[in-house]
Amino acid sequence: MALLLLSLAVLSQSWLPVFAQYDDQTKKTLSPPQDIRAFDTPSDGGGSLTVIWSPAPYDSAATRYQVLLSEGTTVPDPAAMKVVAEFPANQHYVRESKWPWWTKPATGEQHQFTMRNGRGVELKNGIAYSVTVAAVLSDDRGIAQPVQATPQPNWMNWNQINNLLLALLFGGIVFYAISRAGKREIFLRRIPGLDAVDEAIGRATELGKPILFLTGAHDMSDPSTIAAAVILGRVAKRTAAYETELLVPHRDPMTMAVCQEITKQAYLEAGKPDLYKDDSNFFITSDQFSYTAAVDGIMLRKKPAANFFMGAYFAEALLLTETGASTGAIQIAGTDSDHQLPFFVTTCDYTLIGEELYAASAYLSREPVQVGTLLGQDIGKGLILCVLGIGTILATLGVLLDVQWPQLFLDVFKDVK
Amino acid sequence: MIFLRRQVPLLITLITGLVFAAQYYVPHPTSEQILTSVTKWLQIIGGFALVLGVSSLFHVHAIKIRRKEAGWGYSFVLYVSMLGTIAVGLWSNGKEAIDGTMTAFGWIYNFMMVPLQGTMFAILAFFIASAAYRSFRARSREAAVLLIAAVIVMMGRVPLGEYLIPLSGDLSQWILNVLNASVRRAILIGVSLGTVALSIKIIFGMERSYLGGGKE
Amino acid sequence: MTRGGLGLFYIHHRSLVTVMSFAERMLKIDRRIIFLVIGLCTLLPLLYPVGLPIKISQEVRGVYDYIESLPEGSVFLLSLDFDPASKPELHPQSISLLRHAFRKNLRVVAMTLWVSGTGMADQVVTQVAREMGKESGKDYVFLGWSPGGSAVIMNMGQDLYGTFPADYNGKPTKGLPVLQGIANLRDVNYAVSLGAGNPGVEAWYVFGKDKYKFELGGGCTGVMAPGLYPLLRSGQINGLIGGLRGAAEYETLIGQKGKAIAGMDAQSATHLAIIVLVILCNLFYFSLRRQAKQQGG
Repeated sequence: MALLLLSLAVLSQSWLPVFAQYDDQTKKTLSPPQDIRAFDTPSDGGGSLTVIWSPAPYDSAATRYQVLLSEGTTVPDPAAMKVVAEFPANQHYVRESKWPWWTKPATGEQHQFTMRNGRGVELKNGIAYSVTVAAVLSDDRGIAQPVQATPQPNWMNWNQINNLLLALLFGGIVFYAISRAGKREIFLRRIPGLDAVDEAIGRATELGKPILFLTGAHDMSDPSTIAAAVILGRVAKRTAAYETELLVPHRDPMTMAVCQEITKQAYLEAGKPDLYKDDSNFFITSDQFSYTAAVDGIMLRKKPAANFFMGAYFAEALLLTETGASTGAIQIAGTDSDHQLPFFVTTCDYTLIGEELYAASAYLSREPVQVGTLLGQDIGKGLILCVLGIGTILATLGVLLDVQWPQLFLDVFKDVK
Repeated sequence: MIFLRRQVPLLITLITGLVFAAQYYVPHPTSEQILTSVTKWLQIIGGFALVLGVSSLFHVHAIKIRRKEAGWGYSFVLYVSMLGTIAVGLWSNGKEAIDGTMTAFGWIYNFMMVPLQGTMFAILAFFIASAAYRSFRARSREAAVLLIAAVIVMMGRVPLGEYLIPLSGDLSQWILNVLNASVRRAILIGVSLGTVALSIKIIFGMERSYLGGGKE
Repeated sequence: MTRGGLGLFYIHHRSLVTVMSFAERMLKIDRRIIFLVIGLCTLLPLLYPVGLPIKISQEVRGVYDYIESLPEGSVFLLSLDFDPASKPELHPQSISLLRHAFRKNLRVVAMTLWVSGTGMADQVVTQVAREMGKESGKDYVFLGWSPGGSAVIMNMGQDLYGTFPADYNGKPTKGLPVLQGIANLRDVNYAVSLGAGNPGVEAWYVFGKDKYKFELGGGCTGVMAPGLYPLLRSGQINGLIGGLRGAAEYETLIGQKGKAIAGMDAQSATHLAIIVLVILCNLFYFSLRRQAKQQGG
């Protein structure tokens, strides 16, 4: 009996403080997230708020953060606010956001969450909202004091300031190069395809056969069609001088109208306006394969001695060039459609690859504007090469040494919205 | 007249070019609305361009028929086909099928347009074979390397090739993902810079060939 | 030199002449013989299929895995940007994608940027929907075509209903259950463009994903696929179904054989034929070159 009483006394006395302590601990609430800041998400069209808060010791996969939102500046009960997002507490850091370093709102260790209008969240511009963050662990919940913010549309996307500066830099380089080309002679390397233009026209003249010139599949808004039209002007000048027939079938009526003017002008400049024929430039159809069939028919019937394929092309490229090759014509192609380059290279005598087409107008005319642009492009490419080299070295260093500072350079050349 | 033909288009090009280049960096809804308006106008103009295309076609072939030029019979066939398709299309309200039943327009589309277009595209397979036979010769070291890469990719892209030479699949993937992607990227960078430079010249009026005619 | 030696020399010279003229003749062979070889290589496997196993590539798996990960009711936009010319390659891709999307009970919004492909696009969407027991307006909608190409994408990014006030059958798009909660492209969970040219995958990235931030996958003809690898490698598109081979891989992934798998045997035979022709032409070329050197030397 005594032993029983003693046991009871021990049990009732000695464990009580332990249990009491445990009860106290479970009754303690999770400390709410600290240093909450909410603000209008910068560099966007509105309808978005960003909230930042400090990391906490309890940040882990077990604990969860809830982002709460309510309209208006007064919040009678933060616990009743709408939960717009919930995620593990070891996620959503500033360092994980896609923002570049010059727009990041806080240090990398801080938490960040951006709410956007849509998908269950309604954020109207100009209306104040109360935002807060709660930490949740099992039944425990710690809610921070709400803060206010108003979403607003912004006039400038600062995330893209690097893009703007690089675009302005490139524009500046092009203008500088054009002004320099006006003052002194700039060396242009020989482009074999263009040297062959005269040869091709001469051959056609000797054989008494016409020249076929195609301007591609796109309309006049495409740079490749503009380049093709410029080259047509040069070719037309030569054909006018040699009195060779020129055939220019078109897929687009507006391109045809422009090329008619260009050809007319070329004949005028060559001193042979009476030889100009309006229907040397003619419209066939806009449909890809109907056009191809028609041009193939022209090639087989008229048997031009020289075929020029300048501009953008799609699947019809091989159909055109293979038919032309079967007639024995000399073929010169120039395209920025890289998917058709293999076919042109295989079937044509000379091919202008990619921007060689754009360079062609400069090469043929030697106009300062054209040559200067070419120089500007080459300087731009040189810059890109340097950036690629430096960037690769810095990125590798960053990984090897586990440091973040190379990202400062790399972000400048990253495309962020 | 020169002012209308030259200066006004150049001014329009300058203003709209600069505005819409800047628009890219302005996220404000006003900027988005301006872009939406302009793209709607582009759609409308694009629709009219179709009309322009058809009327040009009519005009060109009408002249051919009137002058009885070589091949004018085909122009007549084109006229009949075009007018017939337009009439049938309007009668069917532009629909290829109504409640699962094929319309006359659908018949023309399925039994004339689809096979004809498919045939033209299918000719490519034959042409590439004849072009390959004629031109894929190892005339130089570079051509030999190109040839070997082409053979590996051709083998690796079909089940039979992978069955005969299992390594060809992985090799062709590597060629496509590493060699091809890097070269395409380089061409893309060059072409893009060329496009940007040409766009700058057009916006600032240094390139005017799109207006037609030469220098003044 | 002995008579035998002279005789051998004569035979060797004659044989070389014969070989040379044979090589020359073979190099100048009529194209139509090559066309016949290719024709037979395409036709015979279609009549007598073999059915070799198809290895799945990471590019195609990218599209498949993403659609697999989408929860039921997600919005899947499929833009069928091709015309009948590209039907053999892109039609099987569209059928597989639609079957997959309908099987996952996604809300399918189909459209096209190519006017000449409108009828074909309508047919494929209707056919697969009927096969999978889906209802127009409730489970899917075919918006049809609108002029403008990339302008359509930009307008859809702002306001889908303004760009397509009615679907292809004339039903007003506002109020359709399948489009509930979708105001513009920002509300699309996944978009795939099956492109045969321009406008196509690149236009959808530049004017769509870049601005409106939806996930984008691509499908294209075999000849265009290498050009889209830079977009794939940089993450601008999350998957790429290239040509008939890509379509066959997708059919294998969804476990439903179709025209793409059937066509792979023909493609295998044709590729092999071209490889043999190329090897032969190089053999003849080198024998001619050697002969020319020997005669010159």
